[in-house]
Amino acid sequence: MTKWQSTLLAVCLSAVVLAAAPGASTSWWSPGEGTPLPAYATYDNDQGQLGVLNTSAPLDTKGHPFFEPIGTNGRACVTCHQPSDGMSLSVRSIRERWTATGGKDPLFAAVDGMNCPNLPPGDPRSHSQLLDRGLFRIALPWPPQRSDGARIDPEFTIEVVRDPGGCNTDPRYGLNSTMPTISVYRRPRPVANTKYTTHQNFGVGPFIGKNGMPSSIDPETGRPTSMNLMSDARAATLAVQAQDAARTHLQTAGTLSAAQIARITEFERQVYIAQVARRDAGSLVEPDGPPAFGPRNLAAGDAGVLGNNTTRYVFPLGGKWLHLPQASNEAETARNAARESIARGHDVFMFRTFWIKDSMHLNSVGLGNPVKRTCATCHGMHMTGMDTANGWMDIGTTNLPWATEVPLNPWTEARPQMPLFRVTCKPGVRPHPFLGRVIYTQDPGRALISGLCNDVGTIVMEQFRGLAARAPYFSNGSAATLRELVDFYDRRYNIGYSEQEKRDLVNFLGAL
Amino acid sequence: MNARHVIHGSVLLLAGWLVSGAAVCFGADGSSKNFVSCPIVRDTASVPCWLAEYDGELYFLTIQSDVTSPVTPPWLGHRVLVEGAVSAEPRICGGIVLKPVHLSVMPEPDASCNTMLPAEERYNLTFEPPRPPGPSKGRLAFDNAPPPAKPSPAALPPSKEFVVPYDFDALVGFNHARVLTDVLEFARAVSAREIEIVGYRGAARLSNGQVMPEEADLGRRRAEQLAMLLQGASLKSPSYKVTWRDESAKATGVDDYAIRRAVITVRAGTAR
Repeated sequence: MTKWQSTLLAVCLSAVVLAAAPGASTSWWSPGEGTPLPAYATYDNDQGQLGVLNTSAPLDTKGHPFFEPIGTNGRACVTCHQPSDGMSLSVRSIRERWTATGGKDPLFAAVDGMNCPNLPPGDPRSHSQLLDRGLFRIALPWPPQRSDGARIDPEFTIEVVRDPGGCNTDPRYGLNSTMPTISVYRRPRPVANTKYTTHQNFGVGPFIGKNGMPSSIDPETGRPTSMNLMSDARAATLAVQAQDAARTHLQTAGTLSAAQIARITEFERQVYIAQVARRDAGSLVEPDGPPAFGPRNLAAGDAGVLGNNTTRYVFPLGGKWLHLPQASNEAETARNAARESIARGHDVFMFRTFWIKDSMHLNSVGLGNPVKRTCATCHGMHMTGMDTANGWMDIGTTNLPWATEVPLNPWTEARPQMPLFRVTCKPGVRPHPFLGRVIYTQDPGRALISGLCNDVGTIVMEQFRGLAARAPYFSNGSAATLRELVDFYDRRYNIGYSEQEKRDLVNFLGAL
Repeated sequence: MNARHVIHGSVLLLAGWLVSGAAVCFGADGSSKNFVSCPIVRDTASVPCWLAEYDGELYFLTIQSDVTSPVTPPWLGHRVLVEGAVSAEPRICGGIVLKPVHLSVMPEPDASCNTMLPAEERYNLTFEPPRPPGPSKGRLAFDNAPPPAKPSPAALPPSKEFVVPYDFDALVGFNHARVLTDVLEFARAVSAREIEIVGYRGAARLSNGQVMPEEADLGRRRAEQLAMLLQGASLKSPSYKVTWRDESAKATGVDDYAIRRAVITVRAGTAR
């Protein structure tokens, strides 16, 4: 059986299993269906329940440009930003749609729902990035262009080493085409809690605090932006992102009108998502519960403030759940044990030190290499765990030697899914301080926008909310579960977490 | 005195220790120690210490703090240019204290610089560091003072000079965002008509007598980069005068870091 046949079989089997599982998603939001979005809704997921708060609700989605198929391929914004999936999209939902529609859902549009538009439609092998890892193709011009269209002279050259999707070497879509393009594969980010992702507070200024370069400017206000919206910070604002997404993902015939943009961004500013219950720990949003949890606390929180301190905390839990009173019955005992695990996981996140080494834009910004710190050092924004400053870093999710690669040997037929690029910093340009002059990467990340050697493989860190609803994780979907995510960090930084610490951390992350 | 005062006091003490001026910096000995070496990091029960060996002796460079520290730690995987003065203070983490000290991470990677030493009770810090290794206690280590009130545009001088310091062989980095912001804000406030940028190439005279010049065209690159960054930050209307000078011959082994700089002069427009 080939890898592709295995994939297809796995997809079919998982669909059968999921359909029978308790809490299976039945809440797919199709473009143009016109269902009102209530003020507050909950959606089941494997770990419990997600809450979606719509602060200006109920919202009539009929005719709303976020929910209507305003492009030419039948998609709407909501196609890839499903309320049940934390306004992102889980690979589980993707597989369910494949099974339910035989791959005909607009979600699987050739433009980016296939590994490359030149592949045969309807064949799961053509959509393996999406079906296996929840990845959409992001096609970026090479060399990079400024927002005004001017070309950037990049500090490096780039070659395609491996191209399993076939797009980067394709004569029409690839690097050597008449419109040289690099295709990378990335997860959609949650369109929720956006007052945090677009904040104008601590760390936002005209020059980027991590490298001194000019910040991206909001074209409407002229103000610098936090550049934390997208994985490569290419869109400065929600409006710019919406326009770009409409053109590339929805394949609109023209540009969106000002009225459409206003309605889309207004909606994006009023939606908050977070886990509200866990199967083991029960409700996370009881009246006297920890103030970190649930979308209502997110809506009420201060945006863009530093929480890597013991006065505000990144995720304020209080100490109550660390030592709960003796329970009176078995169910309560189990619930309390789960809550104590979450609280311990928080303390691992906040206080467990380890050596952070060779991570660009963390070790290079005045802390030293290595620096003895904690998770909260980088994931320091109050309530979201993002970076307050411009948040792209290289932790090795896409750069070798740390990126997840298929072990090639005579005893396996498994072959790499991700493309591989060789980046060479040009003569006269300083080598990358931690990776040298030649870098192998599955996705150059921010460097495809900035053209800077030091940005190769840097990815804007994402918010931690609603994680249980939107696996897999990392921009390239390389961690299928939260446990795999924790294991990645453990390997990458030689942390040496105990099994208990790992379990606690996973439970904590799953409660956010 | 409550805990906050104790912390604040120790922060001020250490801040003074890190940034104290020439009267203190030469201490009992005061001899300059300028050398290039692999940095060494030693763990402690609190934050790590950064050290370097030179000529058979171990020197203390700094401790781990946060981004507001005036002295930021070097990097394993790279050599470090140390430009300091021997102080009479008790050793820290086993090293002779250099104070003040300027550290420049050398750009080229050097895999041989990989020494991490474990914590030992005898090398634990004898003072409370301004920033613990994990979350802070609600404030950054050294950036406590609120920014001064901005004067009204009418009270601003007709021109102002901004000195942009650089590490050895370095261009703009994380530590330049603030001074560039100051330039930008002043230029906007006075509707600048001209921005003059002079980039300097310097050198470091080492304790072994060797003079280590910066890259040949670094003065030009510094000046041109600054102009590009200011224009990139939408400061496009003033005219730019960009020149560069080579002052590498001025290195004496004392305060050579001060040569490695660019000077930006912003001149106001007539219609203010």
